[in-house]
Amino acid sequence: MSQSGQSSESVIEIRNLGKVYRDFWGRPKVKAVNALSLDVRRGEVFGLLGPNGSGKTTTLKLLLGLLFPSEGEIKILGKSAADVAKNERIGYLPEESYLYRFLNAYETLDFYGRLFDMPASVRKERSEKLLDQVKLAPQARHRQLKEYSKGMTRRIGVAQALINDPDLVMLDEPTSGLDPLGNRDMKDLILDLKKQGKTVLMCSHLLADVQDVCDRIAILYGGELKVMGRVDELLKAQDETQILSSKLSPEAIKEVEAVLKKHGANVLKVDQPTANLEDLFLKTVQESRDRPGHRTVKEGAKS
Amino acid sequence: MSFDAQPIVFSEAILAWLMTAGGMMLLVLGVSFLSALSQGNSGLKMFSSEVGGVLSDLISLSPRRIWALAKLTFIEAYRRKALAVFVVFALLFMFAGWFMGGGDGDITNDQVKVYVSFVLRAISWLTLPMALVLSSFGIPEDIRIRSLHTVVTKPARRLEIVMGRVLGFTLIGTLVLSVMSVVGWIWIVREIPAKAQEMLVCRVPVKGELTFVDRDGVPAEKGINTGDIVDFRSYIEGATKARAIWTFDGIDESVLDSEGNLNLENQFFAFRSYKGDMNHQLLYDFQFRNPEKKISFTTNPMEMGEFRGVRNKIARKLERPGDEKTYDLIKDFVTSKGTLTVEVSCIDREQYLGMARPDLFIRLPDRSFAAGYFKAVLGIELMMILVILISVCSSTFLKGPIAALLTFVLLILGGEDSHKFMDQLVTGRSKENTAVLEQQVKQLEGVYIEAMKMPDSDEKQAAVQAAKKKLQARRIKLETIKNGFKGGGFLESIYRIYTHMNDTTELPEGNPAMKIMVGVDNQLTGFLWLCKQIIPRLATFNNMSEYVANGFDVPWDSALLPCVLVTLGYLLPCILLGYFALRVRELESK
Repeated sequence: MSQSGQSSESVIEIRNLGKVYRDFWGRPKVKAVNALSLDVRRGEVFGLLGPNGSGKTTTLKLLLGLLFPSEGEIKILGKSAADVAKNERIGYLPEESYLYRFLNAYETLDFYGRLFDMPASVRKERSEKLLDQVKLAPQARHRQLKEYSKGMTRRIGVAQALINDPDLVMLDEPTSGLDPLGNRDMKDLILDLKKQGKTVLMCSHLLADVQDVCDRIAILYGGELKVMGRVDELLKAQDETQILSSKLSPEAIKEVEAVLKKHGANVLKVDQPTANLEDLFLKTVQESRDRPGHRTVKEGAKS
Repeated sequence: MSFDAQPIVFSEAILAWLMTAGGMMLLVLGVSFLSALSQGNSGLKMFSSEVGGVLSDLISLSPRRIWALAKLTFIEAYRRKALAVFVVFALLFMFAGWFMGGGDGDITNDQVKVYVSFVLRAISWLTLPMALVLSSFGIPEDIRIRSLHTVVTKPARRLEIVMGRVLGFTLIGTLVLSVMSVVGWIWIVREIPAKAQEMLVCRVPVKGELTFVDRDGVPAEKGINTGDIVDFRSYIEGATKARAIWTFDGIDESVLDSEGNLNLENQFFAFRSYKGDMNHQLLYDFQFRNPEKKISFTTNPMEMGEFRGVRNKIARKLERPGDEKTYDLIKDFVTSKGTLTVEVSCIDREQYLGMARPDLFIRLPDRSFAAGYFKAVLGIELMMILVILISVCSSTFLKGPIAALLTFVLLILGGEDSHKFMDQLVTGRSKENTAVLEQQVKQLEGVYIEAMKMPDSDEKQAAVQAAKKKLQARRIKLETIKNGFKGGGFLESIYRIYTHMNDTTELPEGNPAMKIMVGVDNQLTGFLWLCKQIIPRLATFNNMSEYVANGFDVPWDSALLPCVLVTLGYLLPCILLGYFALRVRELESK
């Protein structure tokens, strides 16, 4: 196992996978996935990226056995995708929360726990733990899911995916429809799963989210694999250098520029770094929680 | 009383089930194997892996998962307001009493029958559609909103999903049925006036077989038809040799009541060719006969009860005033094989007494009304399970509305009339008629042999001639019907119409095209036979209610057991077909 907690052992092996959707008469309609081959290693967070219709959700559903491959081979945890036994060690969060809307949170987790043949005491214990982990408000836990907001439904969706303490978690658009707080929680959860040594495969088209949590990514387009590799390596600009320091005076900046020019460097941009909007939002919300009733309007917002 | 349920022939039923269910399973396996074979090695590998998967699923069945899915189904139905069906039920029963009368205590058997029929029908007409709709839409709705994705991505087997759904719908249906049946029972007991409560019993009959002897004393196929459109009852002419002869099998002392009497209950019908004495009913008598000992005893004349049943208590010791000779009903008139023969004759000249097989029976001690009523409810429950099985099975490969429609059509086609029609389509003859004819031929053969044994006389000549004539007529009719289709099957009929060939002319021999045509016709007939077998025979279930409505206990062998067997017969094929359909379909595919 490497320092990052990843192993060279493949949890998912996809070889030459193809999926053709056919019409009623069996004629090919669209080739959703074409000759896809990739591996997901134990302990890594792997992102499947691509625009809408690129085949990433189809790939996920092929892995889960919800669709049957037209060609190629899939091995998950050493088993075929059609083998139900593999599901013992898998957790799946669908794109939308396709849960039973008339059950409450406890009933939902109890139901899915039973599907794993878990005894009642274990189901109860894990339900409580998971509901705390996904931060579902205690007062909401006895309400039917049809009364939940999208964020709350997403949380219970995550909880059901983790009810069996899976080795492999498959998340389809995990941050879709979440507010920035929920988004942050979800990303923290994924990183937490990674810390626990679990393998995570996620599909998303929200690139910032993927960049934040994924170790490796694969970009699909038109059902074909276009790019695959480590995120940091793929994003590294090979012919540029970035130096980050504490705030400098204009004179100091000029001196630094002179030194750089002396070494033949072309200075492209000298600027003050900015925090991203997510960080600003989270900071504001955190401050508001810490000091309820206190109102701060920053200069930049006066207009 | 025109209700006359016939016991089913178990060996035939089980053989038909094995042929249908086993045949279809082999067909599916065969087609799958051939299809895999056409794909080469990869196909065969896939086939063996699928077979292995099926076996693994069967071995790995988990009661906890099945129960989880059943519980989910129950909660889903409950929270989707399936129990609103109680509102309709309550409304029906709040106002039904207004239209059914009988409040003054003057109530007849027929009115009691209406009350009981109404309750049992109301319950079945409310629970069956509810079960049909719920179970047809359960799985398709799960697939549509993709809730099933979260289930099949857990270790739940598709077989468990089908079984869990069936169990869940059965539980909610049972709950509804239980509440309705208890309310219905209380309603009947409260609505029937106190002095008519004695009619709420379940009579336990011992029924016999009925044959006739015509006015000349010659065995006849039936009695006289006095103009009834429905040829159910036959009439015997008064003051002639005409007799209706019932033979009861398995008779011993246990059929007597606590006082040692034989309770013979009858409800005969009268047809008067002249007005007669309108203050009195027609007279009839019973004659007990033992052919082994060649003795007989005729009872005193009795007055029939028109439109109501008459219970005749026949004392075990048979004696006549002024006659020293007495008989013991059981010891003297029950044969060594346990058969009791009772002959009924009409005493009034030129008047006619009408009867059918169920119109005379030995009445054993009654059972409580509740026992029979809840057995009838069990019949509704079994029919509901059948509906659920078919709906759930069809909903694994059809969308909700289509699955509901298919189940509904199967229920409509499951009626007795449509089954008779299908019988005729498949066999070219009415199965029931053949059975009746075969029985008649057998009886007439016996009569012919008996006539031949008579001492030589004019009477013997007449009896032999008459029996021979009737036997020949029956045999010819039976042969004609047994020969099957007149004019051949589908293709042969078209050919005959096109070539103006009548249906008695033989087809040209040695023509290969003709052989192919007849062969295809046979295959089509086989397919029709399969369709007929697949469609459930619902009359089996309806009979249960009929027994109670007519004041009888529901017998195990001719009512309950057939219902249980029919439901069990559909259980395994429906669950396996549903499992197979769910296994081979892509749940995500639109």
